[in-house]
Amino acid sequence: MAAIDLDTMLAKIKSSQWALADIDWDAPGAEEIHPDQWVKLKAFMSDLMWIEHVGARGFAAMAKKAPDDTLKEIYTYFHAEEQRHANAEMALMKRWGMLEGDELPEPNINLRLTIEWLDRYSDDMPLEVLGSVIPMLEIALDGALLKFLLDEVSDPVCHQVFEKINADEARHLGVDFHVMEMLGQGRFHQLAVKTIGTVANPKLILGVLAYAPLLNRMRDNIVAMGLKEERLYEAMNKYKRIGGRTAEGRRNPWFQIISRHGEYVVDRSHFYHKPVDALVKLSNFIPARLLGPVPTWVKELTWKPTA
Amino acid sequence: MAIAPPQDPVNATLVKKTTAAAGKNPQERTASPSPAIQESAAVIIIGAGFAGLGMAIRLKQAGIRDIIILERSDRGVGGTWRDNTYPGAACDIPSNLYSFSFAPNPNWSSSFSRSGEILDYIYHLVEKFDLGGYLRLQENVTGIAYDEAAGHWSATTDHQGEARQYQGRTVVMAQGPLSNASFPAIPGIDRFQGHKIHSANWDHDYDFTGKRVGVIGTGASGVQIIPELVKQAARVRVFQRTPGWVVPRLDFAKPDWQQTLFRKLPVSQKALRQLLYVAHESMALAVIWNSPLTRLAERLSRAHLRRQVKDRWLRRQLTPDFTIGCKRVLVSNDYYPALQQDNCKLITWPIDCISPEGIRTAEGIEHQFDCLVFATGFEVGHSGTPFPITGRQGRQLNEEWKSGASAYKSINVSGYPNLFLTFGPNSGPGHNSALVYIEAQLDYAVQGIRTILDGKLKGLDVKPRVQREHNKAMQQRLSKTNWNSGCQSWYLTEDGFNATMYPGFASQYARQMAQLDPADYQVLK
Ligand SMILES: Cc1cc2nc3c(=O)[nH]c(=O)nc-3n(C[C@H](O)[C@H](O)[C@H](O)COP(=O)(O)OP(=O)(O)OC[C@H]3O[C@@H](n4cnc5c(N)ncnc54)[C@H](O)[C@@H]3O)c2cc1C
Ligand SMILES: [Fe+2]
Ligand SMILES: [Fe+2]
Repeated sequence: MAAIDLDTMLAKIKSSQWALADIDWDAPGAEEIHPDQWVKLKAFMSDLMWIEHVGARGFAAMAKKAPDDTLKEIYTYFHAEEQRHANAEMALMKRWGMLEGDELPEPNINLRLTIEWLDRYSDDMPLEVLGSVIPMLEIALDGALLKFLLDEVSDPVCHQVFEKINADEARHLGVDFHVMEMLGQGRFHQLAVKTIGTVANPKLILGVLAYAPLLNRMRDNIVAMGLKEERLYEAMNKYKRIGGRTAEGRRNPWFQIISRHGEYVVDRSHFYHKPVDALVKLSNFIPARLLGPVPTWVKELTWKPTA
Repeated sequence: MAIAPPQDPVNATLVKKTTAAAGKNPQERTASPSPAIQESAAVIIIGAGFAGLGMAIRLKQAGIRDIIILERSDRGVGGTWRDNTYPGAACDIPSNLYSFSFAPNPNWSSSFSRSGEILDYIYHLVEKFDLGGYLRLQENVTGIAYDEAAGHWSATTDHQGEARQYQGRTVVMAQGPLSNASFPAIPGIDRFQGHKIHSANWDHDYDFTGKRVGVIGTGASGVQIIPELVKQAARVRVFQRTPGWVVPRLDFAKPDWQQTLFRKLPVSQKALRQLLYVAHESMALAVIWNSPLTRLAERLSRAHLRRQVKDRWLRRQLTPDFTIGCKRVLVSNDYYPALQQDNCKLITWPIDCISPEGIRTAEGIEHQFDCLVFATGFEVGHSGTPFPITGRQGRQLNEEWKSGASAYKSINVSGYPNLFLTFGPNSGPGHNSALVYIEAQLDYAVQGIRTILDGKLKGLDVKPRVQREHNKAMQQRLSKTNWNSGCQSWYLTEDGFNATMYPGFASQYARQMAQLDPADYQVLK
């Protein structure tokens, strides 16, 4: 894949917008969700929609760091598009009777910790870090979760929605990997190497402490639903393959760190999981009220097509 | 209203020599024969805002009375302040400084005036200096052209659909830097089925009570309108693309004793004006150049935001990411509080399109409204001219300005003799009262017009080399300013060329304009 032209990409993004109102949420097909599927699907959709939302906040932070106006605007759109995905997934949940009134799905404690971290520190993270982590999440989402969902669920409205989401994600991945390569070049490469020196940055450590257990918990949830672990391996390999397709991409030290980390995550026998699974257990003991109210950006989520 | 639209100039005394030169219109762009000459005068002024009216006053005071003011509106004089009557419309500059030094008004009721009060001041000027007889309303100038052989300009106008022609030895362009309201290029804008209002053309008959209102634009007009709308409408949604820097306004009603003092002792008013002038001049250090004062101004603005907005996310949405001064600094105490009212919400998602029922943003939601308010500003010509301007040998100014406008001292353009621009290229104030700049331009124009009329010159044309050198120095100075520091604003052309702002203190500008040096000009006899 050759490097993409960001201006063309931005124009493409602007001309590919869609809205929840484009979809007939009352169309037939909701009954195709089997009752035995329902509980697990509810948990899956809830995780999914929260990852989209967390990803949205990540793009908001990247927009602040973007080195030029075009990329900044692209990230501003991606921020909104991930929110749109979360909104649309909530609308599906609503359609399937998984939401009570105006309530948001309950985020698990690891999500809450991640949200908290994003709220406080993500704007301080350098572009190299976010720009290398986000593609990993996106590829896992795109390559593993969404495909799995479409295999499991036959509701046509669900397929219609994810067709739109997937089209957006294809553009996200295009930009993600473009930026990863950019981060391996000249000025950015030097910066990336420099920030490696700040691995001991307490904000970053806190981030890892929030993010690592989140991934483990999600992996467990998903596997419990019947997702084959190979799907996750495939996603990790895809990250390594595309991220490392050029010398610049491979030169980005954050790419190296994250692809290594990805390998640990999918390899259940790796020592990595001992402390992280312990963290998952530990986090179960954190009372949610300790975290206080959710940040107001979370409250902007909605399943209602019109406001 | 103080100034009733005058009748057609049937009044014979107003109709100057209608010469037979009508057939010789050099502007042969249209095939149709040019209309007969309506009137001719020594000076044609285009526009009856502060600049046009101020020009007439200064000319009169210099003994030049053969003047016509062509104004397109049917609602009389006033320009900006006739058009911008939206709720909350007010001046950002203290009234004492936002008035002509040659016509002080001791009656300002507060330190920053509302638009109605400024309009009253303008009416007062027309009355006091007896300008009514010069006005020709509903004359929308559609083009002007210079006839080198005859040494005069002709202006074609559209008078209620009828083409007319006026002739003048000299022309003063005072059509306003911000007089053509612009709607944003959002797809679907024409499909909207609710009510649409532009800030510069307010619909005072529309009742906002109980209505769902969307406001597009958070610039100077937006921050004034929003607090007023929030008081009336059921629900207000504010669509913001980029947040601007907001600084607190030190507004206070003027004590009565001050008005009395000003009336009894005009010197005291002059002194206050001087003080305000100097205070605003010092702001140049913060907003024009990146200096320690810039940081200080940014800190002041951030503190204002922190004090008024407690929510971290909202504060983040409202925090600008460009150097202060790069775009116009906003002045408001009630904008941030208004945004936090229960019936108001700030929306920063990118706008995708306007649908029949509202605005669709990229997070996939359609925000539905009864009324959309556009506080989206004005078309500003960086490179074009407001209408075709034809100079010597048929040259076209908009052609020459294609890649960015330039002039000599902002007021004359080589190849276009006897033409004086107000708010020409690089005359924009970023930190001080526009009227301070206008005054300097008016007095320069008086010198030029005097020279032409007294010397019976066909033309006074700035030398091309003089203009070139002036602009080289200008762009060099601009490159060091905050405006050219990388943010996109209406100050810059799409290529980032700054044809708008003057890179310096108002007093430097006034000095630049103080003397017309005949050596800079070529005389056409
Ligand atoms: C909302 C708003 C707030 C502002 N606040 C401030 C402030 O706080 N401080 C400050 O210094 N400046 C402010 N300004 C800038 C303001 O425009 C100037 O201060 C000043 O009023 C400009 O006067 P003018 O006579 O040059 O232009 P205008 O007042 O715009 O007058 C131009 C006149 O020309 C007429 N005209 C235009 N085209 C034609 C044509 N083709 N034929 C015939 N007539 C025509 C128009 O109808 C208008 O009457 C503000 C502007 C706006 C819009
Ligand atoms: Fe997504
Ligand atoms: Fe994505």
